[in-house]
Amino acid sequence: MKKIGGLLLSVALAASMFAGCSSSNDGSVGKTSDKPSNSNDANKQVTIKVLSSDDFAGFREKAIKEFEQENPNIHVNLEHVAYDQLHDKELASFNASDNAAYDVVDVDEIWTTEYAKAGFIIPVTDRYTDEMKKGILPASLNIVTYNGGYYGIPMFNDALFFYYNEDMLKKAGYDHPPKTWTEFTEMSNKLQQEKITQGPASAWGWSANEGLVCYYTQFLGSFGGKYLDNNGAPVLNNEKGIQALQYMSDAIKQGIVDKASISMNDRQILDAFKNGKTAFVSGWSFYWGEINADDSKVKGQAKVGLVPVADGAEPNTVTGSMFLGITPQSKQPDAAWKFIEFLASKKIQKEQSLDAGALPIWKDLYDDQELNKNHGAFKEMGAQLEHAMSRPQIDNYNEFSKDLQIRIQQVLTGQADAKSALNESADVLKKLEQNK
Amino acid sequence: MQKKIRPYLYLLPSYFVILSVILLPLLFALFISFIDLSKNIRKLDHPNLWHFVGLDNYWTVLTSDYFWSALGKTIYFTVVSVGLEFIIGLAIALILNEKFKGRGLVRGIMLIPWAFPTIVNAVLWKWLYDANYGTVTGLLAKLGFTDGYVNLLGHSFSAMNAVIAADVWKNTPFIALILLAALQSIPGHVYEAAKVDGADAFRRLFAITLPMLRPAIMVALVVRTMEAFKVFDIIYIMTSGGPAGGTQTLSFYTYQSSMMLGNFSSGAAIAFVMSIFIAVFALIYIKILYKDVE
Repeated sequence: MKKIGGLLLSVALAASMFAGCSSSNDGSVGKTSDKPSNSNDANKQVTIKVLSSDDFAGFREKAIKEFEQENPNIHVNLEHVAYDQLHDKELASFNASDNAAYDVVDVDEIWTTEYAKAGFIIPVTDRYTDEMKKGILPASLNIVTYNGGYYGIPMFNDALFFYYNEDMLKKAGYDHPPKTWTEFTEMSNKLQQEKITQGPASAWGWSANEGLVCYYTQFLGSFGGKYLDNNGAPVLNNEKGIQALQYMSDAIKQGIVDKASISMNDRQILDAFKNGKTAFVSGWSFYWGEINADDSKVKGQAKVGLVPVADGAEPNTVTGSMFLGITPQSKQPDAAWKFIEFLASKKIQKEQSLDAGALPIWKDLYDDQELNKNHGAFKEMGAQLEHAMSRPQIDNYNEFSKDLQIRIQQVLTGQADAKSALNESADVLKKLEQNK
Repeated sequence: MQKKIRPYLYLLPSYFVILSVILLPLLFALFISFIDLSKNIRKLDHPNLWHFVGLDNYWTVLTSDYFWSALGKTIYFTVVSVGLEFIIGLAIALILNEKFKGRGLVRGIMLIPWAFPTIVNAVLWKWLYDANYGTVTGLLAKLGFTDGYVNLLGHSFSAMNAVIAADVWKNTPFIALILLAALQSIPGHVYEAAKVDGADAFRRLFAITLPMLRPAIMVALVVRTMEAFKVFDIIYIMTSGGPAGGTQTLSFYTYQSSMMLGNFSSGAAIAFVMSIFIAVFALIYIKILYKDVE
């Protein structure tokens, strides 16, 4: 009898453990799988989970409150992470189910091909209205397009802008931002020598992250180079590309830019600028909102200028817009679309510009009087956007980028010369293109 | 008969747990290292897309320069950090084994670095190394070791050593703790007898203390070597594998391959090659350990 008792007990224990696991699973599956039928019913509550980069998180939280007031039956659960962690977290979530999966994800323009090709986000071409197709800037629509279909709605129109502290430049006797990189070097030296800035006049986000590739692209563009020629062959290793990288490496070696740049990201250099430690910073449009926020020490002192150029080149910068897409795991794509559409609406886009500094996706908002009057850098940012290029669009983009980051850093730390580093990077790019 | 079965029955639940949370994921990882999941983890949901590639993933890994460079860096990290931790830890243990005023307090304080979560420790040291305001950076400059403030995390070699210093600071107390416990179990009369025989302090250290500490030393070294070989979090926080890949260890390379580039198959392959190295370490250590016990 004793024997049977013990046996029963242990079996029961084991069984209860399994039951414990599986019942909780069943529960959540049941809950979520009920939702599609409920989502047609306007009175039932649905929750959509959104994963977003934290660049515009403050504004998005506000916008969500507005959205929930207008749509009391949809609850939005926003999670945001630093941009540098976004891709990794999304990749992990795409194979997750139930509560670990997201309905809406924030996608960088360089991931469009990768995500769309792998089916991580679903096409939403059918949901686009004619107004959207005609009213949104073609450049913005371009970032959500893969194989002729749309995979989400762009949320802003972004690029690396060149910010400068006008007050500091005036103190040094300059009435204009640097037009060329030579002038940038001169001004940086003077600002530092006259102790207008505590250290070097600028810091850059050159740590081993996507930001480094963006900054390199900005230099590449403003030195007159590009990644691929018209036939799609890599040309980043031509004379102009080498000059661009050489300039970056010299700038760090000669102390024109902060030597800590190589271990900083785009948040840290914004903090340095906001606290009045640097006079120049190159960054995204959300910097504008941050620089003019109440906690900024340089509120009202900063302006946006065109990116400096090497002789004879155009002031080209790199684009870096993002969009929201819907995952196939979503059980309530209608509600998710409603939310994305809301954030992309003209009303919210205008608020986003006034509030956080982003540039809108709608063509006609650029003529909006209120925006032109109240957004201090609207015209300048618009002018910069006319000179913008994108990073290479290949579906192995991340592999190329990781490799390029290491090679650029090897040059910046003096372990390799610009020419051979870029030659190898061009080889990698060629190989990855062929693997398509 | 029943006596023989019953223990196993009682153990059944834990077998289930081990099977479901350790063994199955492990076999699953082994499985994905033999199929091609590059670019799309979704393929896992569709068995018809499972494309068996045999040892291809392993071959790709073993022929990649990044792998061998990461292996070299991992070995450097392991040897230097565990070596320093052992020497400093042993010294601390020997000092704390002596009788002096406030010994209890010092023993407590010694453990503080070890009590920090690795992430806190990493962020702390990252600030100490800050190129413009860091305490360590400033100290080195003021003492004349460096020409002004330098960016310690800005060069591959100094970044690796900076990370090692942070790791040594955190993990030395662990070795000191284990060795101290073992030291306390060495009976005092052995030393007295040695003193009577005329053995000086060095002789006593090498002839009595170290041989009697051997089992404890082995345990401490085994644990720390395994941990150091798998180092990830401190590197992720302090350098993200940079600059120029200078601190890219095997764990970080695995993470990069799976989570950043989305190639879970080659990530799994790197992880298994790495486990082979760890298993070899473990075998060597166990061989030495058991010999000692016999």
